[in-house]
Amino acid sequence: MWILPLLIALAIALWLSLKTAQFLNGENLLNLVPQAMPLVITAVGQMFVVLLGGLDLSVGSMISFTTAVLALGGPAWVLIPAVFVLAALVGFTNGFIITRFNVHPIIATLSMQYILLGITRVLRPVSGGTVPDVVISAVAGSFLGVPMPVFWGIFTLAVAWKLLYGSRFGLHLFAIGGGVSSGVEDAAHNFGIADRRNIVLAYVICACFAALAGIFLAGRIVSGDPNVGLLFELDAITAVAIGGTQLSGGIGGLHGTVIGALVMALLANGMNLTNVSPFIQTTIKGAILLLVVALQSRKKMGL
Amino acid sequence: MVARATQCLPAPWNSPEGRGACVVKTLVEMSDIRKAFAGTAALKGVSIALQPGSVHALMGENGAGKSTLMKILAGVHQPDGGAILRDGRQVAFHRPKDALEAGISTVFQELSLLPNLTIAENMFLGREPTTAFGWVDHRRMRREAGKALAGLGLTLDPGTLVSRLSIAERQFVEIAHGIMTDASVFILDEPTAALNAADVEVLNRHIRRLKDEGKAVVYISHRMDEIFAICDTVTVLKDGELVGTRAIAEMTPASLIAMMVGRELADLFPRRGDAHGPAMLSVEDFRITERSRPFSLSLSRGEIVALAGLEGQGQQRFLRSLVGQYHPFAGRVTIKGKSLPLPVSPGGGVRRLQAMGVGFVPEDRKEDGLFLGLSVAHNIAAALHSKRSELALAAGYQRRIADTMSSLAVKASGPGAVVGTLSGGNQQKVLLGRYLAADIDILLVEEPTRGVDIGAKSEIYRLLREFARKGGAVLVLSRETVELIGLCDRICVVHNDTIVKEMPAADATEHNILDAALSANGEANGAKGERR
Repeated sequence: MWILPLLIALAIALWLSLKTAQFLNGENLLNLVPQAMPLVITAVGQMFVVLLGGLDLSVGSMISFTTAVLALGGPAWVLIPAVFVLAALVGFTNGFIITRFNVHPIIATLSMQYILLGITRVLRPVSGGTVPDVVISAVAGSFLGVPMPVFWGIFTLAVAWKLLYGSRFGLHLFAIGGGVSSGVEDAAHNFGIADRRNIVLAYVICACFAALAGIFLAGRIVSGDPNVGLLFELDAITAVAIGGTQLSGGIGGLHGTVIGALVMALLANGMNLTNVSPFIQTTIKGAILLLVVALQSRKKMGL
Repeated sequence: MVARATQCLPAPWNSPEGRGACVVKTLVEMSDIRKAFAGTAALKGVSIALQPGSVHALMGENGAGKSTLMKILAGVHQPDGGAILRDGRQVAFHRPKDALEAGISTVFQELSLLPNLTIAENMFLGREPTTAFGWVDHRRMRREAGKALAGLGLTLDPGTLVSRLSIAERQFVEIAHGIMTDASVFILDEPTAALNAADVEVLNRHIRRLKDEGKAVVYISHRMDEIFAICDTVTVLKDGELVGTRAIAEMTPASLIAMMVGRELADLFPRRGDAHGPAMLSVEDFRITERSRPFSLSLSRGEIVALAGLEGQGQQRFLRSLVGQYHPFAGRVTIKGKSLPLPVSPGGGVRRLQAMGVGFVPEDRKEDGLFLGLSVAHNIAAALHSKRSELALAAGYQRRIADTMSSLAVKASGPGAVVGTLSGGNQQKVLLGRYLAADIDILLVEEPTRGVDIGAKSEIYRLLREFARKGGAVLVLSRETVELIGLCDRICVVHNDTIVKEMPAADATEHNILDAALSANGEANGAKGERR
């Protein structure tokens, strides 16, 4: 399932190293990890929601919102917990609205995207401010000679891995998504699974991962920016889809999602190196999402 | 019974006197359970008591309310009235989890396994074993699932995805999920539908084991031999009402069937037609699946023919293979002298048949048939428009719509009334009206009166008969045998994907239809000796 995206990633890397001299350049390679990290983190969070048959379009705004909150000024030990509390609140609201009022996930999280965007622009109409030093050094520094972003990656993957493959919650996520995509929405419920609670939890996790990505980005840009998370939700969904996770839920996983995010990052890097206009880059990403999803609908249940 | 059970509360499990202090005979008692779906009563005050160490058969015709009753006990549906007593104490199950925690385990009739999970994951879903740290103990899950499968005589790897299993294997996994658990009440809703005789024997052995352990088992099945082989008590339901509860020892298959069907035929039906014209639809050497016996069927002008039998025996697959929603194995179909090549394409089947003058009225009018948010006029016009080119200007159909509505006696405020606001009976009339307004002379109808009250039923029967009298032909499929006997001219009993018996409706009774289906069941089992 995730072999194909891995081959695609390798193919892009190969093509880039043949095509451009800069790609294999040490500086560029060192840059790739921090460049890819926000997307990896966001996509991993998004994967939880997609697996149960949902979608979260509010993660882009969540990222911008996080940078804005961190740039408010204040001690890090207040700001960082505050960011996660707010993220959990946003995720809870998403999940609650979806499960309690039966609002379609796209509509619920699209509304949240606007709501958060508005608040972010009130907090910080244009980019500026400074984020706590701890955040900056946690992203730019290194520990035992290893650049910090690597630790962010390990932490993200370890947490996601345990949640998805180690906990009952993870298994229930697959069960709920499997029911949704095979047309028996109540299947998991009939097995005695607390489906609503698990769905809400998945949106909370998704928002918290987005906040983590936001902290990382804030450390990179050293300020708050209302536009830094723009369209991130689509990048994340594309990465999840490229990684072989079925958008109707139930099938997919962590390996694929990470590789999907790397494919997107390599693609962005490659397009930057070959001087593709940023506007055209957006168009290309949209086309890729369309293509991946169109191909997906042909392999329904049963793999 | 209620009184006795409440008087005698069980001693706590750890009380010094032990359990013997007060013998509670009833594990579960459901009393006066009522349940209605969208205004149609499914259960009208049914009571049942389950004793430890006994296998309780629940019988009744299709739609008698057996599954509904058990889904209430399993917490899937909530009753509108009545009480559930567990060990003498009143309980309420708001969700399936509550029933599971009360020690009631269910094998549902519809296969509800999750295809994207492994066998082990499905078997332990909702009650996964965890390690000391609270993580899922996958190793233990696999080991115990493997043991449970071996206990059922299966050699499947517990790590196999359920989507890769055959129907019979899935049924076994479902059974394993249901019975390999620490519960005291087990509900098995038609667990043997996909199993052969040898598999059934394995299951029976486990049911006897549960019985010996003092558990209560509810067993729903249409197979008489199974009922008499393993059950102790039988409760018969009919139209959502309790007919009675008897000890199996005092019953015979014949007296049980008599209990299931005994009812007066309501005077609901129009007179049968008599003029039979040329064949409108003829089906020859039709084989629904590779394994099913071929059959033939012909439908004449002015005739209404029924497909009767137990639920899910292939009636619907046959009808739907004519419109392309199911791919039959083989057969020749001729409609008014023109042959219809099989298989019919799933996308254009309905349109194509409409062009040949055949209308298909699906079972689920809300899902497949009507545009609930649109007006009556739009719904009727949809069929008229579908015969014209996509880009043709919409023609005015007011006259024909008004005519159709008055001939159908649709009770609505006018052609502009939104279909979703009409009663079930009127919705069904609009659906039929759609085909009657278009020039259709063969109707394939599924469940013509599902969820419809008595008055509207009789009007729908009149409409269908009127349609046949004007030179149409109708093929009807229904779970309600009485309806088929009253409405139709001829009845084809379908069992195991083939027509096992054909009889004039005038001579048919519920008894001999059920008998034809059930005795064919025995024959079919006997004939397939190689599967034993």
